[in-house]
Amino acid sequence: MGVILEVKKLNKHFGGLAAINELDLNVIDTEILGLIGPNGAGKTTLFNVISGFFPPTSGKVIFNGQDITWLKAHEIAHLGISRTFQATNLFMRISVLENVFTGYHLSYKTNRLKRILRTPAALKEEEFLRKKAVEILEFMGLTPLKDEPAANLPHGHQRILGVCMALATPPKLLLLDEPVTGMNPTETQNMIDLIRQIREKGITIVLVEHDMKAVMNLCDRIVVLNYGQKIAEGLPEEIRENKEVIEAYLGKERKK
Amino acid sequence: MDNLQKKFHFNRIIMRSYKFIGLVFLTVFLISVPVIIHNPYYIHLLIMVGINTVLAMTFIFLLRTGLITIAIAGFWGIGAYASALLTVRLGLSFWLALPTSTMITIIVAFFAGHLLVRKSGIGFVILTLVFAFIIALIFGTFEVFGGYIGIYNIPRPSPLPMPFMAPIKFASKIPFYYLMLFLVLVVCLASSAFYAAWTGRAWRAIGLNPRLAESLGVDIFRYRLFAFVITAGAAGLMGSFFAHYYGSIVPTTFGPFKTLYVQVYAILGGVEFAILGPLIGSLIMTLIPEFLRITKEVEPVFTGIIVVLLVIFLPDGLLGLLRRGRLQPPIKNIARVARWIRSFLPNKRSS
Repeated sequence: MGVILEVKKLNKHFGGLAAINELDLNVIDTEILGLIGPNGAGKTTLFNVISGFFPPTSGKVIFNGQDITWLKAHEIAHLGISRTFQATNLFMRISVLENVFTGYHLSYKTNRLKRILRTPAALKEEEFLRKKAVEILEFMGLTPLKDEPAANLPHGHQRILGVCMALATPPKLLLLDEPVTGMNPTETQNMIDLIRQIREKGITIVLVEHDMKAVMNLCDRIVVLNYGQKIAEGLPEEIRENKEVIEAYLGKERKK
Repeated sequence: MDNLQKKFHFNRIIMRSYKFIGLVFLTVFLISVPVIIHNPYYIHLLIMVGINTVLAMTFIFLLRTGLITIAIAGFWGIGAYASALLTVRLGLSFWLALPTSTMITIIVAFFAGHLLVRKSGIGFVILTLVFAFIIALIFGTFEVFGGYIGIYNIPRPSPLPMPFMAPIKFASKIPFYYLMLFLVLVVCLASSAFYAAWTGRAWRAIGLNPRLAESLGVDIFRYRLFAFVITAGAAGLMGSFFAHYYGSIVPTTFGPFKTLYVQVYAILGGVEFAILGPLIGSLIMTLIPEFLRITKEVEPVFTGIIVVLLVIFLPDGLLGLLRRGRLQPPIKNIARVARWIRSFLPNKRSS
């Protein structure tokens, strides 16, 4: 069980505010790691730094032995880290299938000139990738909606579509930002099952989530952040009993 | 559900065949125009429509990657000046100067793009505006470019040898018309090839949602730069054609105001329609002032009125009406105008 992602002494300051403060974090191959913490703990900022949307103030991010700290978002996507967004983020005006198909941007192998001239080989590749997009939709259960514009989908399905697109790149590490937020219990259970199945395919998953029941149910390991610092790390059972974590969420117990 | 899908599929086939028939009719019509219309002035107008169509197409092309450019006329001018200088000063043939000047425009756009495309949104608009002014100023200031008198006596294309036919001489406007048709066709084919390939999907992704596109691995800067460069190439191609067709060029033609006109053509036709929109838009904006016998001095007023009406009534352009399938009920629009006018009046209640 090797370490796939390593975060070393990471700092991210917005002006005077330290959103991430001297954070060390290891993500182990094919685990599901949960990141929890109160609002403003720096969870989403951490995702943004790892996926290259913000440069960190200092520190290092190492993915598969390669330093990716200063790479841009598209280069990081190329290396195999893909992410979903906290707010639903889709290409709203185009169909569900086209959304996922757009995610295959990095998967073309034929010569660029051949692709422009639409030679048989290029068309065949396009057909192949389109088929793979349909497979992802089938795997995630969105096949009946594949010709619908993404904007017409209900919230739960839009979230699933977001994950479908992240799966298309294709990733080795998947960062899910609040995957079950705003879902009803049935949808949540469905999403949990899907995330487990994605892991079965050998994809490592890090997820940020506020739904404690889902996190405890799903994650192999949990890391708790507060004010940009790691305050606890361990198995779900350990985290549930951890005094510091309870304090961070509920405040200190008054001494009698 | 199944039945509905079948019906949908059937409708799509019908739409496609309509499209095909429409395209055939349009082609036949465009080819037979010189047979129908004998007045050379109208042929001249149609040639200008062709040039404006391509320029408006480049505007839409960049708009779809989320960039609003004001530098189109600048690149049009670079193509025109490069071609004029190559033929007048260096004595090159038009048929060599056409691709060479296009290449020169592409190279200039490549280097300028490295500076301009780094910004998006309003920053890009301002930068391209400045770029357009600078280009027009350079043409006007330096002796090489002929100053504000411009370059004149630009040679017409040399006769084009044809297999099994007498060589085509560019003596009247009609060969120019067919050359224009050919160039527009080339640009249309190239642009639809790029749209159909992975580049089109990447551009669309950037235009719809740049952050998401980036997370899927699209290099925003590179794809925007690529779009910027090839649109500049198309504008340069038309510039070279324009220089040799018109015979003389002056720097004021290529200022940013030309681009604003081009944008009106694109928006009037409808920016959702990459090729047909610019064609309809520039056709209407060229022909209506002609038929109304509006003089050149009053034309900007006419254009201004068109723009105001467009923004209020037709934000999707003329072809947007077709897509919606019906005209908007006029009452709604009248109410909108009334509300707009009322917004200028002082509010009675507050006094």
